[in-house]
Amino acid sequence: MSVLRVQNITKRFPGVVALDSVDISFEAGEIHCIIGENGAGKSTLIKCLTGVYIPEEGEVHVGGEDATKVKTLLKKVAYVPQEIDLFNNMSVAENLFIPYEQSGVKGIINQKELEKKAAPLLEKFRIKVKPDELVKDISISAQQLLQVARATVHEDYEILLLDEPTTSLTTNDTKILFNIIADIKKENKSIVFISHKLEEIFALGDFVTVLRNGKKVADAKIKEVDSDWIITKMTGRSVDQEEQFQSNQVSDEVLLKVERLTGGRFKDISFDLKKGEILGFSGLVGAGRSELMQAIFGHLPIYSGRIEYFGSQFKQGDPSYSVSHGLIYLPEERKKQGILPVLSVKHNISIAMLDSLKKGLTIVKKREAEMVKEVIKAYNIRTPDAEKEIRFLSGGNQQKAIIGRAMKSSPKVLIFDEPTKGIDVGTKTEIYRLMRKLAQEEGIGIILISSEMEEIKKCSNRIIVLYEGRKMIEYDEKADKQQILSAIIGAKC
Amino acid sequence: MNRNALMNRLKKSNMTAIGIVLIAMIAIASITSPYFLDIYNLQALIRDLAFVGMIGIGQALLLLIGELDLSVGKIASLCGILAGMMMVYQDVNPFLSMFIALLLGCVFGCVNGLIITKLRLNSMVATIGMQGVYGGVNLVLTKGKAIPGIPDSIQVFGKGSVGIIPTPFIFCLIVLILVLFMIKKTKTGRYIYAIGNSREAAKILGIKVDKIRVVIYSIVGLISSLAGVLYVARLGSSQSAIGESWPMNSIAASVIGGVSLTGGVGNPAGALIGAAIISVIQNMIVLLGVNVYWQSAVSGFVVVIAISFSSISEILRERKVKVS
Repeated sequence: MSVLRVQNITKRFPGVVALDSVDISFEAGEIHCIIGENGAGKSTLIKCLTGVYIPEEGEVHVGGEDATKVKTLLKKVAYVPQEIDLFNNMSVAENLFIPYEQSGVKGIINQKELEKKAAPLLEKFRIKVKPDELVKDISISAQQLLQVARATVHEDYEILLLDEPTTSLTTNDTKILFNIIADIKKENKSIVFISHKLEEIFALGDFVTVLRNGKKVADAKIKEVDSDWIITKMTGRSVDQEEQFQSNQVSDEVLLKVERLTGGRFKDISFDLKKGEILGFSGLVGAGRSELMQAIFGHLPIYSGRIEYFGSQFKQGDPSYSVSHGLIYLPEERKKQGILPVLSVKHNISIAMLDSLKKGLTIVKKREAEMVKEVIKAYNIRTPDAEKEIRFLSGGNQQKAIIGRAMKSSPKVLIFDEPTKGIDVGTKTEIYRLMRKLAQEEGIGIILISSEMEEIKKCSNRIIVLYEGRKMIEYDEKADKQQILSAIIGAKC
Repeated sequence: MNRNALMNRLKKSNMTAIGIVLIAMIAIASITSPYFLDIYNLQALIRDLAFVGMIGIGQALLLLIGELDLSVGKIASLCGILAGMMMVYQDVNPFLSMFIALLLGCVFGCVNGLIITKLRLNSMVATIGMQGVYGGVNLVLTKGKAIPGIPDSIQVFGKGSVGIIPTPFIFCLIVLILVLFMIKKTKTGRYIYAIGNSREAAKILGIKVDKIRVVIYSIVGLISSLAGVLYVARLGSSQSAIGESWPMNSIAASVIGGVSLTGGVGNPAGALIGAAIISVIQNMIVLLGVNVYWQSAVSGFVVVIAISFSSISEILRERKVKVS
């Protein structure tokens, strides 16, 4: 009998059916992958499994009993959210055991005791930090592993629900995590694994369920299917996985020349970017790629070095100068640095082009609405209407809105920082095509920061690898995947 | 069709909800006390609310970018004193004195803004400090004494009426119209909402965030000094104690009016309605003859209830979503 079963659940929101009589069984000792595009209903499913939403129709069975009626049953579901939500200023041990009521810590909290209890857990999850360290001082990778560890502290969990647990993990730590998950599977727990990364699903999963537009469209044993099958089911069309996205219009004109730049997290970096080129930056999480780009853009300080832009000295440390000169940064932290969450899609897009929408002092609303409509159409942004608050859009559509907005401030150099983080396969391809088009047709120089090897390989005309803030090596597009991988982890070859 | 669109907009707007609360308050007040609708009472009430109202509108601008200014009251009284000293002691032309005082208020606000942006201070802590400075300078100048003998030409601005509408309220409406124009129609207005939504994102968009913050502090300083000078005109003498309750009441008025404390959400017009609600509450308490010693406690409690209206409606809405 299934440990967890959703039985024909339906969940509606005003204007959309988020889940349409979905029926899935999760078995003990099995890793069950859920995959679907943004907006397919994965998040709603998670929220139904964790008790945030109650489905209007259907039942959620835990061990044969209906959890929509007996809510405490959902405590058997240990949930690891996609975003890291640890307490930064508390110790690793405290983070592991909060909330205390659920982890069996009673009475007065004794720090030493907690730390002693934490040690074996940290060892089990191969997290190499001390129990008394503050969470904000440990690496992002360690934080993500800690988050998984925390979910399993609750003793009588039966189901482990992992929502994209590898987005901030290095390749090495992903391996560690997969070993841990395999161990947990041996304890006869049921594991629900949600990911956009097909290679992970094939490396780890036993069973896969594909969601599309709120419906379950297919399920199968992983062994019996291949990635084309999944993509076809997921998108409802076949996507050419071999498609390449390098620009074929690279000119000799250098747009951006960076010389011996040193800042907080990077040292002595030099490179140049040519017109119509896509230049990939690869490296581990924390290698200093984002910091380097944000410093060039003017958001972070530069200690020494020189930036030349279109052959002349570039003013440092002033983002509004950069933007007005066509150097635009599209941040990785979309939610924090990209979108203006409670403003409408319209205002989010028009904010970058207000000067062209003004007549005297005032903004011409009609012209604004037309311009925004154009952008929504041109960049295929799926939204009920332009007045919708942007936070309600899926990640992919937020990203497209941000790109559309950047395009309206006549960019000459675009820095894409992890542009497809948390974005599904179909939309990813859309974004790659867009980048290629911008480079080829508009002659824009593009810098692409990405931790995904496939993405870097498929899109870049040249690839630069950073390791611990230093430039390791530079490759052309024919570079070998193994070579790049070893440079990423700091091995010279 | 057009009418439907208007109805929809009204239904959606937060403003409608607090408007209804205000009307309900007025209805209760006029039922419980026969004196409430008396024209003299209403005029006094409106004259009173003009001051907290206009400062509330300024405070709302700051709340929109996620900041606040606790020195508004002290800027108001210092500017009132400076205007009074120029007019009465130095024989400067009264109108020129008033103009200089307004300018100085703008400078004080600008100083607040520069300190907060350049030294990267928290606005609340910084303005607690600055209100001490402005209040202290005030005491040094006056030794706590009032400056009587404000010329009649100036007193008209505080005591007079245009038709039946008290002059200070006219000024308040002018402030509102100018601020609404800025916030709804101009680029700066859009940038203010953007900054309130996410200061990081606004910076990365190339918006000159700090410049706009300083401008808003300056505007708030200007509005504060306007309120201070008008109050002096109303009293006929400059006094150090003017505006003691304005910082807190202006924040409460904004929050009642639906302006979020975390920034990015709300409309400065709500602050004026919020101020009106506070004034009606205080007026009602006096009219009902509540014991003098109890007045402050009662009005404080009712203000807390008024503030919670917006969050209560939020809670109810969430519950509705969950159930359906």
